[in-house]
Amino acid sequence: MQLPSSLLESAVNEFSKLPGIGKKTALRLVLHLLKQEVGEVQQFGDIITRMRRDIQFCQRCFNISDAKICSICANRLRNQRQICVVENIRDVIALETTQQFSGTYHVLGGIISPLDGIGPDQLNIESLVHRIGEEQTEELIFALNPNIQGDTTIYYIQKKIKHLPCKVTTIARGIAFGGELEYADELTLGRSLANRLPVDSYISNR
Amino acid sequence: MFGFRHIVLTQFRNYLYQSFSFTERIVGISGENGSGKTNLLDAVYYLCFTRSYFSRTDAQNVHHGQQGMRLEAQLLKNDEAGKLVCIVRENNKKEFYANDEEYKKFSDHIGLYPAVMIAPDDTELITGGSEDRRKMIDTLLSQIYPGYLQQLIAYNKILQQRNSLLKAAAEHKRLDTSLLEILDMQLCERGDVIYQWRKTFAAEFIPLVQQQYISIAGKDDQVQLTYDSQLHNASMAELLQQNRQRDMYLARTGAGIHKDDIDMHMNGLVFKNIASQGQRKSLLFALKLSEFLTLKQQKGFTPVLLLDDVFEKLDAGRMHNLLHRVCVEEQGQVFITDTHNERLEKAFIDLAVPYQLVQL
Ligand SMILES: Nc1ncnc2c1ncn2[C@@H]1O[C@H](COP(=O)(O)OP(=O)(O)O)[C@@H](O)[C@H]1O
Ligand SMILES: [Mg+2]
Ligand SMILES: [Zn+2]
Repeated sequence: MQLPSSLLESAVNEFSKLPGIGKKTALRLVLHLLKQEVGEVQQFGDIITRMRRDIQFCQRCFNISDAKICSICANRLRNQRQICVVENIRDVIALETTQQFSGTYHVLGGIISPLDGIGPDQLNIESLVHRIGEEQTEELIFALNPNIQGDTTIYYIQKKIKHLPCKVTTIARGIAFGGELEYADELTLGRSLANRLPVDSYISNR
Repeated sequence: MFGFRHIVLTQFRNYLYQSFSFTERIVGISGENGSGKTNLLDAVYYLCFTRSYFSRTDAQNVHHGQQGMRLEAQLLKNDEAGKLVCIVRENNKKEFYANDEEYKKFSDHIGLYPAVMIAPDDTELITGGSEDRRKMIDTLLSQIYPGYLQQLIAYNKILQQRNSLLKAAAEHKRLDTSLLEILDMQLCERGDVIYQWRKTFAAEFIPLVQQQYISIAGKDDQVQLTYDSQLHNASMAELLQQNRQRDMYLARTGAGIHKDDIDMHMNGLVFKNIASQGQRKSLLFALKLSEFLTLKQQKGFTPVLLLDDVFEKLDAGRMHNLLHRVCVEEQGQVFITDTHNERLEKAFIDLAVPYQLVQL
């Protein structure tokens, strides 16, 4: 793509690094920004910079947060003895959107897959085990993608907390085995959270 | 009756855009070497199995210099018209539709449109390693037992995870035994059921192959097949337990259903070491014919048979026998390729069956 300005070109290059954005779309976005007032674009840039610089990860649950502890953890109205275990922050957002869950979360930051070089040590598992012991958690709810690595992760964590008196459940599999949590519609996701199952029974029933 | 009526190939292998109509049950396809006979058969196979019989990646199936490909077929199954479409997009993403409905999982398609291919390189089945024989058995069982393929895919995924864990452990000199135990449990769950399926199947399949061999060879050469599995003597869990030290040392999983094989012997000696060319061919056809017969019996209708260059492999007498069995005694659709149009035509006339010739 031949561009008449190197400033334009580097802006287009930056935009096209974003997922799902090709060179053409990038150009369209940059040209759109060019039409805006300088001040407006300045604000746009500042907000992005501030977002990246100031955002923190909750020390308790690893959700994104504006403070040391996220707004979900800090909300005393939520059931602090209930932890929903998810793979990433997108899943927290998806589950919050259902408005069906009033406990807390724990973001693993991935899923166990030695093939991809991800073992338990690379994930927020130790902190979870520690948390369950500390906080006297009553119920651990797994909301992981229904696939083999999801199962591996569930079994592994379950084994690590065997000695603790914490009930372990998983969201019901309204979502097809092999499907992706992120893509499930709100209704399905909400329903499967309401109908969660003990881990032991879904293994044998599958 | 199950058969293909019309097929359209778009940017598939040597075909840029071409369609074929099949009006008869017996279809001869003739053309010079390199004219696309095998590719046409493979297009039919592809629509039955959501993948090629030959190539490993879809990139190899796309016409050189093009992006994406499409296969579409009109067919008839149990007197009902059907339609299969496969699209490989520019980014190599694959979509598969049966009667305009898209599959979420390709494995759901396997077994609905059974087919058997016999191709020149299939002698590997006799002379090659155990992998070829497992592939044949797995292809067959995937069509017979719903769920088999999914269990097998899961088993292979877990196996890869386990091997990766063992490798990482060897590198870092530290093994997370809890994780290994979890993977072992997940592996056993699949391994044991796959073994049961294979065992049940082998008990019926092996006598059938031996019987087919005698009928093809015209005599009993004392060919002995046995299903060989480490699981005969121990459960998957016991095997993993026994092999743990060795697995850790070698950083891979040494025991399990991924080591299964069909042993082939003749008069007590290893078949491939002592069999003549003719005997190897007889055993190959016996295996393939048994696959065909098993599918027919299980499905209640005749699978599509794809015979690639078989004239090059059998002498005239055996060829006539084989064609008589699959074209006259059976009522399914048969595709046969040959470089010689006249040889094909003569064979069909000898059989006295209605036929159609496609010249490439
Ligand atoms: N992806 C591809 N794009 C274009 N041509 C291909 C592709 N794959 C194979 N071919 C061509 O197809 C031809 C082989 O076709 P094939 O069906 O094996 O012929 P036949 O069986 O009649 O001998 C070869 O000329 C080969 O170059
Ligand atoms: Mg060929
Ligand atoms: Zn938090």
